[in-house]
Amino acid sequence: MVQLLKLKDSWVGCETVYIITTHVARDKTTKLGRVYIVGECNRQHPIRVLKVLLHCIRVVLKERPDFIISTGAAAGCIVCFLGKLLVGTKVIWVDSMTNVERVSLSGRMVRYIADLFLVQWPQLAKRYKNAEYVGTVI
Amino acid sequence: MIFLSVGTQFPFDRLVKAVDDACEEGLIYEEIFAQVGKSFYKPRNFKSVISLEKEVFDKRFREASGIISHAGMGTITMALDNKKPLFVMPRLKKYGEVVNDHQVAIARKFEELGHILVAYEAEDLPKKIKKLKFFVPRPRESGAELVAERISSFLSRVSDAC
Repeated sequence: MVQLLKLKDSWVGCETVYIITTHVARDKTTKLGRVYIVGECNRQHPIRVLKVLLHCIRVVLKERPDFIISTGAAAGCIVCFLGKLLVGTKVIWVDSMTNVERVSLSGRMVRYIADLFLVQWPQLAKRYKNAEYVGTVI
Repeated sequence: MIFLSVGTQFPFDRLVKAVDDACEEGLIYEEIFAQVGKSFYKPRNFKSVISLEKEVFDKRFREASGIISHAGMGTITMALDNKKPLFVMPRLKKYGEVVNDHQVAIARKFEELGHILVAYEAEDLPKKIKKLKFFVPRPRESGAELVAERISSFLSRVSDAC
């Protein structure tokens, strides 16, 4: 979230919707656009993943975004796939700086559908074919 | 004051105990205030709370002369933004503190770049923590503008949606 918001200048002027996982991030995003809180999930909790998935399907069908920008993780990955499959959204993935040696699991999946795939370490751009390194967000 | 923060999502007893032991041995030069999340260990040498409101957390962070924490990207970013000396100990998978060892990789990178101090195991903390007092982190030049520009150019190239 911190990393994503450092990039907000790039979508200023666009109508923006934020899909976030916890209430903690709400204050930071309500000023910027409509906010949906879908809950946290990870692959250790399949039932929670399902709940988040259903929630995200509703949001994606309602909002029909032209673009999705995400830094991950599980919830971000879900939204990217839903956007692409349901409404043909263009997907921009910014892999978190947390991933130094290899791209996150979510990132490795989204890589196949991403229209722009940015990584934050130069060595990762060499390792993955369609990955681009232009700099670090932090 | 030194602010010890370990995040609220998972416990990190190993770090809280290591810092408490270091205090006991007189290795830490200043008073500590800690936000320990769901950690079970109760420190004897400093005050601790489970969690803080975001505003209070930020205030404590800004007031601190140094920060001790896990190697989470959030804390590292905040320390660099606020130019605070930061000492981290990565959470490790082998102790069940996290699902993979990404924190070690982050810690190593930022240590190499001169931005933070690191203890990779609790045993390393006593001799390394003393450096925190004199540590001046190398400022980081962010590439956020470059990344944002790349995204803007992509957006305007593929669509006139905005």
